[in-house]
Amino acid sequence: MTITTQTDTAHKVINMTTKSEETVIETKQLCREFGQGDTLVKALSDANITIERGEFTAIIGPSGSGKSTLLQLIGGLDNPSSGDVFLDKKNISHMTGTELSDFRRDHIGFIFQAYNLIPVLSARENIEYIMLLQGVSASERKKRVDMLMHAVGLEGLGDRRPAELSGGQQQRVAVARAMVSKPSIILADEPTANLDSKTGADLLDMMKDLNEQQNMTFVFSTHDPKIMERARRIIRLVDGCVVDDERKA
Amino acid sequence: MTNSMQPPIKLHNQQGSAQSSLISRLAKRSIFRNTRRTLLTVLLISCSLVAILFTDAFVRGMVTTMVKISTQTFLGEGQIHQVGFRAANDIDLYIKDTDALYQQLNNIEEIQAYAPRILTGAMTSSSENVASAMVYGVDALKEAQVSKLKLAMTQGDYLSNVDGEILLGEQLADLLEVNLGDRLVVTVSEAHGGELSQALFRVSGLFSFNERTMDIGMAFINLSQGQKLLNIKGVHEVALRLQHLTQAEDKQLPFWQALNNEQLETLSWQELVPQLSSMLAMTQYSTLIVSLIMYILVCLGLINTMFMSIFERHTEFGILLAIGTRAKQLFYQIMLEGFFIGLLSVTVGLILAWGVCYWGSIVGIDYSELEMSGLTLNEPIYLVIDAATFFYMAIATIVVTLIACLYPAFHAARLQPSFAMRKTL
Ligand SMILES: Nc1ncnc2c1ncn2[C@@H]1O[C@H](COP(=O)(O)OP(=O)(O)O)[C@@H](O)[C@H]1O
Ligand SMILES: [Mg+2]
Repeated sequence: MTITTQTDTAHKVINMTTKSEETVIETKQLCREFGQGDTLVKALSDANITIERGEFTAIIGPSGSGKSTLLQLIGGLDNPSSGDVFLDKKNISHMTGTELSDFRRDHIGFIFQAYNLIPVLSARENIEYIMLLQGVSASERKKRVDMLMHAVGLEGLGDRRPAELSGGQQQRVAVARAMVSKPSIILADEPTANLDSKTGADLLDMMKDLNEQQNMTFVFSTHDPKIMERARRIIRLVDGCVVDDERKA
Repeated sequence: MTNSMQPPIKLHNQQGSAQSSLISRLAKRSIFRNTRRTLLTVLLISCSLVAILFTDAFVRGMVTTMVKISTQTFLGEGQIHQVGFRAANDIDLYIKDTDALYQQLNNIEEIQAYAPRILTGAMTSSSENVASAMVYGVDALKEAQVSKLKLAMTQGDYLSNVDGEILLGEQLADLLEVNLGDRLVVTVSEAHGGELSQALFRVSGLFSFNERTMDIGMAFINLSQGQKLLNIKGVHEVALRLQHLTQAEDKQLPFWQALNNEQLETLSWQELVPQLSSMLAMTQYSTLIVSLIMYILVCLGLINTMFMSIFERHTEFGILLAIGTRAKQLFYQIMLEGFFIGLLSVTVGLILAWGVCYWGSIVGIDYSELEMSGLTLNEPIYLVIDAATFFYMAIATIVVTLIACLYPAFHAARLQPSFAMRKTL
């Protein structure tokens, strides 16, 4: 990874001094229920999770165990039935719609399972999108897009529309887009589920490299054992409950 | 908190334009994602615009034709009478100082021609039958410059200033069972409460204005003989042919004032035939009604299209919202899509409408079979293109398009990102 702007150098210095002491995500008694009465589904029950800056965390569990629900609550895409989410020590349930939109834009990167990209925009434009919302200058935009295209190994494919890219390439664009505003957290919901195992493993390796080089916090969900091996911390969900939380040495 | 939480580099002066160019790029490309659907919608809107503009041009054409027919056939664009004549319908109230009036009329630039007339109700009797009719005494030359009488001749000869000549409407001649050359007695009562007065005529010509009431109820004799018959020195009516029809509407023109005084009452055709002008005023509502109906259809069609396109893109909108697009920006994007569809439709619609109306203004539409309020349209209707209406209807169409998009745009802006994405996750 060859990010060499001044601000990034500054990041590294500061991040190193504060590393692993700082909580970026904290959930308290987080619950999410769907439906009522007989059809009540407890998608997530009393989740208390704390994630430090720079962690590379997998949320694992069988299908329907609440992984997506948890990631959506953390990312402010959904409202909890009860409990709180703190991102960078801010309680996101206290934010207005626009504040939350801007907070997501500036501080959270999202990668979804599939159909991540806007089909009418080229790969470059998809990556550029958030910076355009932020009002980043044209020269700065070009610099960052070039850098990220290089980092995710897609140089020369910038003008292609998503339909003209393979699934793996699309997910790489999604990773680049998630990282473009230098967010403090990247949330990825089964980013490899639609990829073959080799491509999925490569994508994960790339994410891990970026995590190590940039000290960016990654939280991703998966139910693939080969993928979860690569995480340094594994949180296991069963029926919406956190049943296991282990950090590897 | 580390400086990774610092806000990104912002250049506020550029932010707005970069964002709006992004939103408009998204909107433009999105409407062409489903080209067929977009084109069908554009067709719906542009055809509605064509229908509205065609109706307007047609109504304007019809109005113009009807006014032209009624003013040019016999009425004139204006008429002068002695004050009180029209109200009392009294043949004693005639214009006495005709020489001075003619002098004055000759000096008014706007008046292209004038035709003095005497008129009275009369009894016409042939050897076979009797009928009542309006008998007009007219100046053969001057009448030909103002009305269509000379052109309406179907048999015989026009007046030639010789006593004893009379022109009858074809249907009146039928009623009286007379032909060219047959004898006819006209009985009138003289002015100033005088005696009955009679004169013998020979039918010298027949005319048809293509209008029943005129063809069955009118007869024309020479002005001088008419004056003798009624025993008057003046005329009852002077019909005016103006340079332009519009001069009849513009009562601010000085000649209107000059010709209205204690003696003379000068009225435009609108005042002479208020039924006609009020009917014409009503026809303007037809454009309004047609446009209302069309715009309701446009709204429904567009709302349907926009919702179809939004439902297809729920996931995409979910992603856009998830990565930080504000609800307001999504709202603008949908509105902008509607605006582009509207703009495209208006462009197509204006071109089509202009083509159709231009063609109609050259070729004309023949309605000679149709009689309206006793008025036969014996001339084709030539469509009249009104640039202002084209302009306002174009604006109205875009406004309607935007109004129709409000609801779909609100719907999109209120999407919950998690709900919008759930379908694929
Ligand atoms: N919008 C919803 N309405 C009803 N039930 C839902 C909704 N979203 C998720 N669920 C339920 O919540 C549970 C957890 O779902 P999810 O978080 O998607 O699991 P995972 O991502 O681990 O497969 C499932 O039982 C699912 O059916
Ligand atoms: Mg899921």
